[in-house]
Amino acid sequence: MVQKEQEWISIPMTVDVPYRFAAGQYLTKYLVEMRDNGKIFAVKCPRCKRVQLPPRIVCAECHVKNEEWVELAQEGTLVAFTIMYLPLTDPTTGKPHEPPFVYGSVRLDGATSVLDHFVNVEPDMEKVWVGMRMRLVLRPKEQRTGDLSDILYYEPLPGQVRPK
Amino acid sequence: MKRNVAIVGGGQTYHAARRHDVDQVEMVNEAVRRALDDAGMTIDEIDTVFLGNMEFFEGVHMTDCWLVHGTGAYGKPGLKITTGGTVGATTVCVGAHHIASGLFDKALCIGFEKQEEGDTGAILSGVAHPLWGRSLAGAAVGYFATMGSSYMATWGATEEHSAMVAVKARQNARKNPYAHLKLDITIEDALNSRMLSYPIRMLDMCPASNGACAMVLADEKTAKKRCKKPVWIRAMDTAHNEQFELDWRFVDTKRPIFSKVCAARMYKKLGVKKPAEYFDVFEVYEPATWAELIWYEDLGLCGPGEGFRLVEKGMTNIDGPIPVNPSGGVLSTNCIGASAMLRVWEAALQIRGDAGGHQVPKDVRRALTTGYGGTNWTVMTALSKTLDD
Repeated sequence: MVQKEQEWISIPMTVDVPYRFAAGQYLTKYLVEMRDNGKIFAVKCPRCKRVQLPPRIVCAECHVKNEEWVELAQEGTLVAFTIMYLPLTDPTTGKPHEPPFVYGSVRLDGATSVLDHFVNVEPDMEKVWVGMRMRLVLRPKEQRTGDLSDILYYEPLPGQVRPK
Repeated sequence: MKRNVAIVGGGQTYHAARRHDVDQVEMVNEAVRRALDDAGMTIDEIDTVFLGNMEFFEGVHMTDCWLVHGTGAYGKPGLKITTGGTVGATTVCVGAHHIASGLFDKALCIGFEKQEEGDTGAILSGVAHPLWGRSLAGAAVGYFATMGSSYMATWGATEEHSAMVAVKARQNARKNPYAHLKLDITIEDALNSRMLSYPIRMLDMCPASNGACAMVLADEKTAKKRCKKPVWIRAMDTAHNEQFELDWRFVDTKRPIFSKVCAARMYKKLGVKKPAEYFDVFEVYEPATWAELIWYEDLGLCGPGEGFRLVEKGMTNIDGPIPVNPSGGVLSTNCIGASAMLRVWEAALQIRGDAGGHQVPKDVRRALTTGYGGTNWTVMTALSKTLDD
């Protein structure tokens, strides 16, 4: 008797769930300052003095309320990065980012935390390195919407040479 | 601990990318039956059942309720545990706490994941803050890639060191019949594998596995009466980290981050001065090669920035002086909800001398395991062969 190959049934399904998130007191202030005035604000912990991004109501380490707002410079240093070769889906839009692209963690001057974003350089190891100086580039004011996409990308400051 | 707790049995499924021959209940039940057989117990003897997996990876919530017939929890008390990558270790921790407290004598702990049924990358993006960085959430690979770039730039390691970890894991996995990626690969193979997210290549990253692990824990009296080779849980600890500050990207940080804090507390409890000598084997949670190197440093097996030297010298090989992940680790098998439990179970097998082909070739009396997950936190478990060790 010929043995029929075993069949297994599996059924595809898609779950599409809309959400709406409150930015809250601290992140709203940050997003409004960035959208309306083109400024980047962080909060400084009164105890450990860490300058934290995104601004948050409580310092996790000290568990005290953060009340001092500090405007940050819009230049900083790339401390970690990747060149992404996978067409990862942007969960906020459902559309993939077109690979390859570069993104990284930049510590803006005066901040303790880093802020991650795209880096506008060619996806080439010779063109991007840890320690590179970066400038934050915002969307033109009339195009800003009040979320993190108001930051377009980081751009390397001109005239830098890759260290040997 | 108020009462001593022992691992008196355990079991795991064969781990694979495809398990369309079973549904979630059937897969979990495979591990549960093996664990009960190993413990020589029936489900009626189990007082309580704890189940852990990563919420929504398989598209169902409340798996503790849905999988009751497979887990054996029908009519019993218990909890669902969902703590990200650490979930398997947290589940063991919860089981041990319930026994140590005197509330129960025998607990069944289960971890599982059936990754093929959902979209792990999409669900993982939900771990990122919705309004701060989620649009960039590069699944896990992007984060480990930034860690790798920072590690190389700070300490002078190269992609070859990452490849050494990749090869060690898969060559160890070949000795472990349950492992998912049993690959006979070389350094060149790893360095030539497809780039996913610089500097992470295909072979530098863990697979998406389906599988389950189950363990039976018991109090000292039950363990001594019922089990020939109980493995004792000597210390457990959990350390959370600050959301947004994913410190493993800043490898030279002086901050007291989760991994170092947790190790320090464990060592204090046990009186450990030289962890590389105190423990005979380590099972660490390394979803990517670079994470293993950072574990070496944060666990104090070497100094900061020296992790890549350990692997370069073969110190952490299965037959080296500090064996790390003889099972093949997470790099070879990542069924997320079970992965951190597999670290504990594999370490227990080493202490029992039951690891078979991947048994470390020396007397194993003490082991340390780590879990890792989410916005960077860890659960550590220390095991021993006797209560005098």
